[in-house]
Formats: sequence, C-alpha cells, structure tokens
Amino acid sequence: MIELNGITKTYTRPGEESVNALMDVSLQIDEGEFVAIVGSSGSGKSTLMNILGLLDLPSAGSYRLRGQDTAGLTAGAQAHLRNKRIGFVFQTFHLLPRTSALENVELPLLYSDRTSIRDLGRKALESVGLGDRISHRPSELSGGQQQRVAIARALVNEPDLLLADEPTGNLDRRSANEVMAIFQGLNNSGRTIVLVTHDAEIANHSRRIARIERGRIVADERVMDPKIALQEAL
Amino acid sequence: MNTMRLISHSAGMMNRHKLRTGFMMIGSVIGVAALTLVVSVGLAAERKILKLAHEMFGESSLMIMDGGGHMMGGPRNPGTRLKIDDLEAIAKQVPEVESWDPQQGLTASARRGDLADTAQVLGESERSEHVWGRSAVQGAYFDGASVKSSERVALIGQTVVNRLFRNEEPMGAEIQIGSVPFRVVGILEPWGTDPHGMDKDNEIVVPISTLMRRLTNADTITGAKLLVAPSAQQDQMVKPIETILRERHGIAANQPNDFSILTATEVQKVMASIKRILTFYLPMVAAISLLAGGIVSASLMVASVNERAGEIGLRRAVGARTEDIRLQFLIETAATTVVGGIAGILLGYVLARMGATKMHLGPVAPWNAALLGIAASILVGLAAGLLPARRAARMSPVDALR
Repeated sequence: MIELNGITKTYTRPGEESVNALMDVSLQIDEGEFVAIVGSSGSGKSTLMNILGLLDLPSAGSYRLRGQDTAGLTAGAQAHLRNKRIGFVFQTFHLLPRTSALENVELPLLYSDRTSIRDLGRKALESVGLGDRISHRPSELSGGQQQRVAIARALVNEPDLLLADEPTGNLDRRSANEVMAIFQGLNNSGRTIVLVTHDAEIANHSRRIARIERGRIVADERVMDPKIALQEAL
Repeated sequence: MNTMRLISHSAGMMNRHKLRTGFMMIGSVIGVAALTLVVSVGLAAERKILKLAHEMFGESSLMIMDGGGHMMGGPRNPGTRLKIDDLEAIAKQVPEVESWDPQQGLTASARRGDLADTAQVLGESERSEHVWGRSAVQGAYFDGASVKSSERVALIGQTVVNRLFRNEEPMGAEIQIGSVPFRVVGILEPWGTDPHGMDKDNEIVVPISTLMRRLTNADTITGAKLLVAPSAQQDQMVKPIETILRERHGIAANQPNDFSILTATEVQKVMASIKRILTFYLPMVAAISLLAGGIVSASLMVASVNERAGEIGLRRAVGARTEDIRLQFLIETAATTVVGGIAGILLGYVLARMGATKMHLGPVAPWNAALLGIAASILVGLAAGLLPARRAARMSPVDALR
C-alpha cells in the first residue's frame, strides 16, 4: 500500500545550516498492517508522518500510495486523497471548540464529494463507543473521549489508511488503553494503521515496529506477541 | 465540495464566536446605518427643497429685496428704502416684467375671542395669487379696489384656522390682528413647512396698503417678486433694473447697491451647492465610516486566522483544498458585514424617519439607500475578507498543525 523509496527531507532556513529531517528512508507497508514508528523527539518521525499523509512533500525520493506516484499529483488531488483515503489522529486531538462531537466528526464530509452524508457521523461515533455523546462539546468530554471523537472523525469517510501521530501522548493510561483497543479492532477488521510514538509500551500494541533515529530507519522488525488492549471500556 | 454545506457550516462557526462576530458587525451596522440615514434623508430633503423652490420661485421669476449684500448670509446694508413706487417704475420701464407683487410682513398676534395665535402677517397686492401661485381653497383673494381702499380683509392659513376657529366656520368671521379687526375672506392653500422650518400655513395675507397704514405704519417694503415673460433672459434684465433703482435711490457710482436682485440662475447655484452637500459630501462621510468598519472587520479576521491556525491545519488534513479555506474565510467575513449591513439599513431607516418627521421632510423612500447599503456592505465584506482569506489559504498545513 505504501512504498517509500530513498525519501530525504531537508529543511533550509535562511542564515542557518540546512537540516536533514529524513535521510534516504525506504519503507514498505502492506495493506492491513499495523506499524509503529518509534523514535525520540527530533528523530524525524513526525516529518515522516506528514509525508505519508501528503501534508508535506519530500525533498528527494519517491512515495507511491496504492501504486500511484504521489509526486505527480496536483494539490487538489492530494486534498482529495487526504479526504477519502487517509484518516488523521493527532496528539492534541484538534477538535473545533464550541462545536458538538457530531459536527466535529462530520467535518471531513464538508470537503467530500459524497451526495448523502446522513448518519455517517453518528455511526462513526457509535463505532468508538460515543453514541450517547453526539451533542456534547469537546469541553464537556474527557481527554480519552475527545481522542475517540477525533478517531471517529478520521473514520467518517471510511479511509483505508489511518495515520496517528502520538495519539496517546496527552492521555492517561486508561484512556490510552481505550484508544489502542480501538486501533487494534480497526486493524483486525482490515484497516492499515501507521502509528508514531516514542512510547515503547504503546508501540508493543502494533504488529511491526520501525525505529527511526536522526532521520534514518535503524531497525524494522515484527512484533511476535502484540500486547492486547482490553476493550473493557467499550 | 458542496458550497451550500460550506456556507451553512461557516454560519455555524460565526454563531459560535459571537463576540468576535458582534464586533465585526458593529462596524458595518454603524457605517450602513449612517449611509442609509444620510442618503434617504438627503433625497427627501432634496425633493422637498426643489418642490418649495419651484413653488416659491418658479422658472420665470425674479426677486428684488431690500438691502444689499448677498443671498445666504453675509451682512446687509441697513436702511429700508425700497418702495412700491420703485417697483411701479420698474414695471413701467422694463417691458419683460409681466406682473409683480410687493411684500411687507411682520409677526403679530391674531385673536378671536379667547383664542390667540402668533402668526406671520404678510401684506400683498391683488396680484399675489397669480405671482406667488398660491390659491385660496375657500373664498377668494381681495381685489384691486380692496387694496386701493385699504380694506381690513384677510386670508388665513390652515394653522391659523385650526388655532382660532377649532370647529367653527371661519369664512366671514372677524379676527383681530394686533388691535385691528379684519374680516376673513378666504383660506390659503396649504403649503406646509419651508426649508427653514417655518410653517407656511401659519400665515395671514392682507392688502399691503392696509398692512402699511394700520399695522406697520411704514412706507417701505421688504421685497417684491416679479414675474417675467418666460422668454426673457433674466440675467440681462438685472442691469436695467439695477440702473433704475440706483437712480431712484440716488446711489453714487462708487457706492454699493442698497437692494439685492435674485434670479433663477442664482437660486440654481445655491440649489446645486445644497444638492452637492446632500448627495455627495454627506454620503462620502458615511462611506468613510463604512470603510473604517471594513478595516476593523479585516483586522479582527486576520487575528482570527492566526488564532485558528490549528483549525486551518486540521481542515487541510481532512481534505480541504486551499480554495475551500479561502472561500470559508471570505464567506465568514462577507456574511458578517452583510448581516450587519441589513441591521444598519433598518437602524438607518428608523433614524431617517424620525429625522424626516422632525424636519417635516415628508415620506422617506428607503429603497435607494437600502440597495446602496447592501451593495456597499457586500463590497466591504469581500474586500475585508480578501486579506485574511488569502493568509489562511497560504498557511502550510504542517506549520498550522504544529
């Protein structure tokens, strides 16, 4: 599904030496995988995530998504892919304040070409166990619930790739566990998930861990016995 | 992307940020209210002034007034030397003068029994009806014989009728002006209020001879209105009239006139300058306040774009194209100023009606002003939204999400 070949990302700021956030990264992720990208802060893992999510362009190298070279895509086509094929989950949730959970979840539908959007938002919220919270505002929800709203938002357009950037970074153990249980459930039903984290214990919930250091992938191995997050809360 | 969906979504966003939206609206409310007020009152005032000027002056008349100096303020020479004889001489020597009516007036109390009124009493000739174009709705004007014999007859305006007669029949009744009794022979056509706010219906017209002999005890007049043949070139008539009057008044060559001559050309000049103020300068001031409102909207929106960077980044991540972001911020700004503009039109209309009622300007037609207000607020909204929308659309999603 994802083929990265020799990806390099260089940031140049005027008056400073240029920084290589990613150097010659090659990575292949197949459909249905659950990959954790692990690294310390500044290792380039967020840059990698932004490139995977078509939010940023590599300085060199090629990125093929479902066999299609992304270098030739127009900005509009990239936006369309983000809308339809990719779901994002962020560390800080990025929910719109003073806006109900349902409206937050429906946000991607605003930019979709679907003709009917009925019930999609409600169903997505139900799938993360928040069917009874659809009219709550973010300020009325716990951190874990807010992140579940954000996951529902990522799922509402039924993308096949889910990108999560430190999704448990702002959550306590219990909420983190809930989030990981949702991810494992989604992966079991066939969704491809790429998770960025610095937390080894979180990473152990995935099926494969790629370690990144100073812009290079230094290890990439299967997880023999993934930790199972209990679905008790759902 | 569904534009209707985006518009209703933007409306929701504005609704959730009531304080910011409110501040953005105030600018266009005030600006458009001022514009509506000024334009609709201006139009009503212009119509009223034109009508009155036409009523009082027509196109083929000329006024001679006692005292030198200028129309519309400026000092006038003291001394009243204009006499009926002067006008008779002019009428005799200048063939273009078709008719004329002298005028002399004073403010006096009019009484009937216990009822009293302070009215403007005007002394006029039997040609008054023809020269001023004001008819009698009941009864008739006095004739030349009445003027010659200084008869104590009067025509009274509607306000005087209301104050002195209540529900009784005024025709043929006796009223006292000062201490002199007059018989009511007619009721004047209602003329409303003049541009100075004087009630033209609180007037009493009596023969000028009677007024001069019985009430003012003077042999001079304050002015006269001359009707000239429509074909006559008014400006060319000024010179001979001036010569006749200067000669009769014995004014030396280096002395200024002790009278003024007012022609339609001069009135038109004054009218044009009034019109310019009403239809250009005042709306300009209102437009500047609208512009200031637009700048406030733009700066609030720019601040809001910076504050909502995370939201913009997120929208990009979930599939918004740069043009979707631009459109959203444009809609948000324009919708706010347009809603503010509509409120401004209503406010301006209410104020205009209040003002027009106070100034007796007659009905205010709000449609021109409303159209102008809507157009102006859309324009200001789009212009104010342009910069913030561009800024929002140019934000890199990666930076915006950080």
